[in-house]
Amino acid sequence: MDAETSETVAGVVRLLRRAAELVWVASDTDGAGSPRQLLALGIDLAADEARNLLADAIRIDGPAPVGSEPASLLRSAEQLLRRIATREAADGLHGLLARVANLVWEANTGVSD
Amino acid sequence: MACWHAWRTSYGKRTPVSPTDRRTVGELLADCDALARETLLDATFDRAPAMVRSWNQLVGLAAELWTALPSAPDNRSGSDPMERLRVVGEAIGRSVRAGHWPGQGPTDEHLTQIGDNLSRARHLVERHSRNSQPTTLETQAQLQEFRSELMHTLYVAAHGTAVALGAYVTDLQDRLRTGTRRRQPLAERPTALEITSARGIIARFDGFEQLAAAHLFGITSANPDQTRVTAPFTRLESALAAWEIQAYRTLADRPDPADLVRLARVQALITSTTGILTEAAATNGHIDGAVIRRLTPALEASEAAWNRTAKRWAELTNPASRTDPSLISAASEVRAAISAIATNRTGWATPDQLAARVDLPNTVKSLHLSMIAAVDIAYVVRDTAVDHPGLIAPARIIGMRAQGEAELAIEQGETRYEGVTWTTPHQIAANQLIPLPEPARRGLINLADSVIATTNRAVAAAAQLDTSRLTRSIRSDHATHRGRSFESRQMTRPQSQTPKGPCR
Repeated sequence: MDAETSETVAGVVRLLRRAAELVWVASDTDGAGSPRQLLALGIDLAADEARNLLADAIRIDGPAPVGSEPASLLRSAEQLLRRIATREAADGLHGLLARVANLVWEANTGVSD
Repeated sequence: MACWHAWRTSYGKRTPVSPTDRRTVGELLADCDALARETLLDATFDRAPAMVRSWNQLVGLAAELWTALPSAPDNRSGSDPMERLRVVGEAIGRSVRAGHWPGQGPTDEHLTQIGDNLSRARHLVERHSRNSQPTTLETQAQLQEFRSELMHTLYVAAHGTAVALGAYVTDLQDRLRTGTRRRQPLAERPTALEITSARGIIARFDGFEQLAAAHLFGITSANPDQTRVTAPFTRLESALAAWEIQAYRTLADRPDPADLVRLARVQALITSTTGILTEAAATNGHIDGAVIRRLTPALEASEAAWNRTAKRWAELTNPASRTDPSLISAASEVRAAISAIATNRTGWATPDQLAARVDLPNTVKSLHLSMIAAVDIAYVVRDTAVDHPGLIAPARIIGMRAQGEAELAIEQGETRYEGVTWTTPHQIAANQLIPLPEPARRGLINLADSVIATTNRAVAAAAQLDTSRLTRSIRSDHATHRGRSFESRQMTRPQSQTPKGPCR
């Protein structure tokens, strides 16, 4: 993975982690049995997967993503991934893109609003 | 195969072992079962620590034999029940090796003898199954009988160990009371910590016993024509079994705090799902309303405790933290299975939707089983909090956390923390990663204790959903174990799995 792609994936990690954080806050506010935890966990797992695509040497910390809407943060992550998930890209990126695209769909069905 | 599938002719009588052991696999397994029953009958308090120390090796040898037994060609089982038990046994073994109660010491003669028989049986199986496959129905049935016998041995031995542990705790409590009354020196009395530790191990053996029972007695199908036939694993059941095994594996290998966060969140989700499906089962008339009234608050408390645990471990993560890829994969499958079964476009599925999608009584029983396993996982999380040598955390948040926990401890009489500062100004300024201060570690342990307590309550509340008369709620309290006398030493086996008689 070249440096530019790695940097983009690091940005995706930050976007996903921020989105997950927001959904967990909403889930905690709901209390026990909140259905939002499914989405929050899904975003966490996507962020984990994205993190594991990167080598140890790549710095993940960077500017915190702007925005307080999980769905739009997820869409931004999806758009970034579409830019780098070219035909020649590693399978991991394609798998991650599919996962994030599903999360965008889930976030837009109302459970995470 | 004929030379190793012979059955013994009677129960309870061990065949004397000659210098050249000529026992068949069937006879060896029968001896194991008889020894396990003797273990139960002789389950005195003084044997309990040795039995705990022997447990991991016994389960490991049973798992090796289980693996060596050839599988039927059309085996539809979605997960390996013995693997589930093996990881629990390994976790208990790691805990003992790490110095937790009962610590190092002698092992138990009976359990070691059972292990020797299992080892011998494995050698026989490996020697004779090399050139033959279980093609006939009769052979397949006998292999199934061997598996049942093996599982039954572990089931009885786990029960025997729990009984011995119960007696051990009673003895400790009696000695503690007597010592206090007679004002014996503190060093000569048992400690409250030892009693708590032994109770914790009882809970783990009770959980083990129930997992073995669930396989042995099966989850009966809702179809009356298939009563007492083990239903094929559904996607959710397979996902839960795979998750539990992976959770143990990840926790066994110096986990990253990110692993603990994910693990706790998944456990919280499983607990939520248990609540949703149990309520649906009640709505559809499968479960008594009184059970739900007891179970729902207990599940909510357990879920909240797991979520608090996740948040606290999250404080130990940093941007570079990684989650074990195998854990991610197992968690993803649990999430996908729950999502497919229990949700619709707007949130949780309605009770009617759930009833249409799954066999509610059996699914609820599987989730109850998962809850039993969750208690043991919580013990392993606790051990991780106690023992993990490499826990580090960002100085700012963990400094505040350590201070908060220290103040709580000081209020409760702890004097060691008075006047201690947990971070240096330089560490705070640079937000350095620093080794976890003791009070912060103590906070993680307390949270694990809270998960154990709340999940135990949920297991107890759900006991009436159990698949078998013989499985019980996890009982680690003094009162229930005092009551284990003759009744607790009686074990039966399922009708369908009674050996058919000699075939030699």
